[in-house]
Amino acid sequence: MSQTPTNHLSRTKYRLLVWTGGTLALALGALALVVFTGASQTGSASVTVAPVGVADITAGPASAQVVLIEYTDYECEACARFAPILATLREEYSGKVRWVYRFFPLDYHPYAVPAAQAAYAAHLQGKFWEMNDLLYEKQREWAHSDDPYAFLEGYAQSLGLDMARFNRDAGAKTTAEFIAKQKAEGSAAGVDHTPWFLADGASFVPYNIGDFRAAIDAALE
Amino acid sequence: MSAGRASAAPGATGPRRSTALSRRAVPPIAVVLAAIGFFISFYLTLTHYRHAVPPCYVTTGCESVITSRYAVILGVPLSLVGTIFFAVMFYLGIALITGHGGRVIQAYDVLTTAGVLAAVGLFLLQAVVLKAYCSYCLATEAIALLLWLESLLTASSHEG
Repeated sequence: MSQTPTNHLSRTKYRLLVWTGGTLALALGALALVVFTGASQTGSASVTVAPVGVADITAGPASAQVVLIEYTDYECEACARFAPILATLREEYSGKVRWVYRFFPLDYHPYAVPAAQAAYAAHLQGKFWEMNDLLYEKQREWAHSDDPYAFLEGYAQSLGLDMARFNRDAGAKTTAEFIAKQKAEGSAAGVDHTPWFLADGASFVPYNIGDFRAAIDAALE
Repeated sequence: MSAGRASAAPGATGPRRSTALSRRAVPPIAVVLAAIGFFISFYLTLTHYRHAVPPCYVTTGCESVITSRYAVILGVPLSLVGTIFFAVMFYLGIALITGHGGRVIQAYDVLTTAGVLAAVGLFLLQAVVLKAYCSYCLATEAIALLLWLESLLTASSHEG
């Protein structure tokens, strides 16, 4: 049975319509993803977390205009990506912002707790931020190794810490309890991912340094 | 009547196998699934090239998977391979819907099989090696499985 010219024309139109419609749908969907993803969600939600206390690990004056709280995990790739940005911002907003670091080791990261214990032990010797930056900078080295403990000790040595005290503090029950308490408080406040940021009571999801500046500048105004 | 003739004449009768190879209806849902797979893979590719690592959620290890050393092979992110795969599946599906047959059907069958094999491999990689799952990856693997099942079912229904 052969096709009539009319049938052939309508079939051609049908094919043209389906191919064009399909291509347009894919192209528009892809364009929407390019445009609408990657945008920051600053000031998205007002959240109440545990108030900043004397036990908190902080940088910057207590009288600073803005308090920026971060919940992070040393084995989290995104946290490592943000670490140099935060180091830059700590200098850029020196005196204007009080940075509060809180531990939030995720269950599926096997070495996040030991790393947090090492950071806390360094904190007890006044070298938290140095250890913090080092842990993130070398994340791929220790987190992907078979023996991260050797690396953690190596970092402590490179920072000139008293090693006997470092090992004692890192393994202390009080250290484990401090980390667990911060995580529990974060969970209770609704922290469900890392890094998780709060600037003056408003949580925000940054993608780059500009998003941080926008959130901090808004809080400074 | 030859197989080639059968493909040019929809109403023609002929050997059952020739007809099965020359025409096969693909449910529109297969094209929709391929489009969804394309968008998910494209999103992951965008994330890769933007260097925007998604946050680490309490319940999943998505970032562990998509930033692992297995996520990029010879400099090409697997998400880009997935994007191309699902785009090809999308257009092959459209070709079948609009009446193309022959080699298009063969290509569709080969690619759905390759897709499901890759999906199984990637799932095992997450389960056994990385011990972390990425919901985006799981979704694309499920879509690859569904496309393969659909391909099997429609092929067997035409041959039976």
